[in-house]
Amino acid sequence: MHQYAFFLGCIAPNRYPGCEAAAIKTSEKLGIELLPLKGASCCPAPGAFGAVDLNVWYAMAARNIVLAEQMNKDIALICNGCYKSIYEVNERLKHDDELRDGVNEVLAEIDMEYKGSIDVYHLAEIYADKKVCGPDKIRESVVRPLDGTKVAVHYGCHLLKPIKERRFTDAENPMWMEELVAALGAEPVQYRNKMECCGAGGGVRGFDLAHSLDITNEKLTNINEAGADAITEVCPFCQLQFDRGQIEIGEKFGIEWHIPVLHYNELLGLAQGMSPQELALDLHAIDCKPFLDKIL
Amino acid sequence: MVKGYSDPAMEEKFQDRYFHTTDSNPEFLKDVEKLSRSIPHMCFQCGTCTGSCPSAPRSSYRIRKFVRRAVLGLEKEALTDPDLWLCTTCYSCTDRCPRDIAPTDVIMAMRNLAFKWDIVPRNFLKTIQLIYKTGHGVPNNDVNRAARLKLGLEAEPETTHKYPEYLPGIRKIMDHYHMKEIADRILSEGEH
Repeated sequence: MHQYAFFLGCIAPNRYPGCEAAAIKTSEKLGIELLPLKGASCCPAPGAFGAVDLNVWYAMAARNIVLAEQMNKDIALICNGCYKSIYEVNERLKHDDELRDGVNEVLAEIDMEYKGSIDVYHLAEIYADKKVCGPDKIRESVVRPLDGTKVAVHYGCHLLKPIKERRFTDAENPMWMEELVAALGAEPVQYRNKMECCGAGGGVRGFDLAHSLDITNEKLTNINEAGADAITEVCPFCQLQFDRGQIEIGEKFGIEWHIPVLHYNELLGLAQGMSPQELALDLHAIDCKPFLDKIL
Repeated sequence: MVKGYSDPAMEEKFQDRYFHTTDSNPEFLKDVEKLSRSIPHMCFQCGTCTGSCPSAPRSSYRIRKFVRRAVLGLEKEALTDPDLWLCTTCYSCTDRCPRDIAPTDVIMAMRNLAFKWDIVPRNFLKTIQLIYKTGHGVPNNDVNRAARLKLGLEAEPETTHKYPEYLPGIRKIMDHYHMKEIADRILSEGEH
């Protein structure tokens, strides 16, 4: 069993709890145990919070990392925004003494010290890693193949970019998530401008909703053109933007989309035989039934 | 002082070509470079950043323009432009910049500097207040608590929601930088 401290973030546990439940249960079947990271907070949001004061962003993210250091476990997480904050701050603090000293000065006020003793991973990246899991192991865990479905992959921005500050090698046309989707029996479809942003990040969703939805609408147009039955992503904030965004696009622009949006862990859960109730798919704004009808 | 030529004749010949304006603050470039940990002074204005930007086709936001403003020290022009808040931080420009600049981080640095001028959209300040109060930018609610229980999860996740004893530590970090205090003040001033 590979063990990780499970960093939850905000939107997964507080808006799409099915993602949290699915991550724990599906990982277990893959030999990955996600342990509770007690007392963790918001990562904090790289766009909405980091934009105001980067110093506080570093210190708050470091506090979350220290909680995992105290457990002596690497962190696994399921949100790209969290990945940017937790992974990037961890890497920067490891390699920049001046920055680390500054952060530790603040953390000393709450009797904490950042040591740089653990690593941070996105759960999707762990799934893709053949040394820990890999697509073959995922394929073996499938009991209900998603045969006959077409799924569009949205990687999201902060998982891969800036590419120089990531373990990945390609942020222009990566294909490893398509392999993870194909392992479930679904057909991953390619679509125009695949790597475009969902539109939510950087505080733009809160600052100018119509602007952010216009970006989302462009992505939905391209995804629809490719004939996708569903969108999958690995970021609850992208999920929120695509899922609730479709309702908001209907209200604001009068354009109707009904494309189900599923976190990869929810998709994996379905393929491993979990029921829609066990995944709380009823909390999704866009009805997942058309997709479920194809596989159930 | 602007760096010049060592040859006085050249210096005189090109003197009027340097950019001078009373609005220009050379410290601005230094502040932006320090906060962004990037090198906007290397920009040759190719426009790859704006060409990669998802916000550019649907607004007047031009990331190239903001990088130029950093180089020219046009602090007020940059910080008071509402387009500053239209960057989704997708980092496409950063990946594609042929001069190895991180334009996204230049924007983040400028937003930090704008905050010092009390310029910041309300939604950012409300996120700060929520994190200060609950530890989460998007906190739990009753509909979600009920859904969590149905899933076999506890009503409160294993975060500051279940362990509020961690909140004072978080507040201490934020108070160290007076973040909540400033957010409260700006929000209350905006109300009347």
